[in-house]
Amino acid sequence: MTTPPSNLTADKAGGVYVYCVARGDGNRLFGPIGLDGRVVYTAGNKEILAVVHNCSAQPYESQDPQVVHGWVVAHQNVVLAATEAFGTVLPMAFDVIVRDSATAGAVGTLKTWLDQKRDRYVQLLDRLAGKAEYGVQVLWDCQAIAAWLAGTDDELRKMQDEIRSKPKGLGHLLRQKLAKAMRAAMEKQADRFAQDFYARIRPCMEDLRVEKPKKVDGDRQMLLNLSGLMRIGSRELGRVLDEIEQNKGVTVRFTGPWPPYSFVGG
Amino acid sequence: MQPELPKAYHRATLVDLLDRVLDRGLFLRADLVISLAGIPLIGATLSVALAGTQTLVQYGVLADWDEEIRAVPPPRRRMADLEMDATAS
Repeated sequence: MTTPPSNLTADKAGGVYVYCVARGDGNRLFGPIGLDGRVVYTAGNKEILAVVHNCSAQPYESQDPQVVHGWVVAHQNVVLAATEAFGTVLPMAFDVIVRDSATAGAVGTLKTWLDQKRDRYVQLLDRLAGKAEYGVQVLWDCQAIAAWLAGTDDELRKMQDEIRSKPKGLGHLLRQKLAKAMRAAMEKQADRFAQDFYARIRPCMEDLRVEKPKKVDGDRQMLLNLSGLMRIGSRELGRVLDEIEQNKGVTVRFTGPWPPYSFVGG
Repeated sequence: MQPELPKAYHRATLVDLLDRVLDRGLFLRADLVISLAGIPLIGATLSVALAGTQTLVQYGVLADWDEEIRAVPPPRRRMADLEMDATAS
């Protein structure tokens, strides 16, 4: 690695954009891979460094979605480059900018901050070493599940038989009753699945966070949205997710490895 | 040895990325950081992210993310809206 040109670390910038924190002594140049092609380098003290670029002391802001996308992707790519260089990093959220103060430039302020947080960050980096974040989202197909319940749930089957036995036009109230019973059965089944799947996934992970389920297109609904911290190379989760997918109408989205965005807070 | 990836492996989408980079990560709320560390940070993380995504929502790009942020009725509620064909067997 080359040493950053002196004008980059001369602490003249009004702000430094911070991508992530890692272990190291702070003298690497990553080159122009930052937001808008900014030159990315490391700044730090003993043990702890931050991966940054120099910027003015104002937040990145744009009304153009393409621009925001580009920034977020660049942010992620820098975090990935840092992960490759340092092994484990603490990824920052988008747009964390350290500003200069009356007594210090932005880089000086950053170093003071790293000094103050060193113990906590070292501890966190140790805890995250050898692990990565993975996303697990369990979805079900409402129509498929409804059809399955209609064919297997005794009460629902009885109601359907009853409707069939009535003359046309007289089954209206019964049909409403059936629809209500079906909704209740589906909610119950959703809870049962969510609890069961969570219990099976939990032992595969070092840590597991439950996120809010997200809206999905079409007939599918998200039952579980999980962020897990898992030892890299662990094999158990694959087996468990395959098993979960054996349930008719149930699909699993698995993404990762991610930098541990969901496990650096708190 | 190659880790055994779940068969359900899916390519991550932009929404997966935005979820994490805009919503999580160290110092989601820079204003908190200021009070914790006593160091001047620009406290615009969240507001900027939202300003940026407002527009994305108009394009439909971030509808999921937006719904989550605004805590609209969660998907479970949607179950009540399900149109069931009562005669389906």
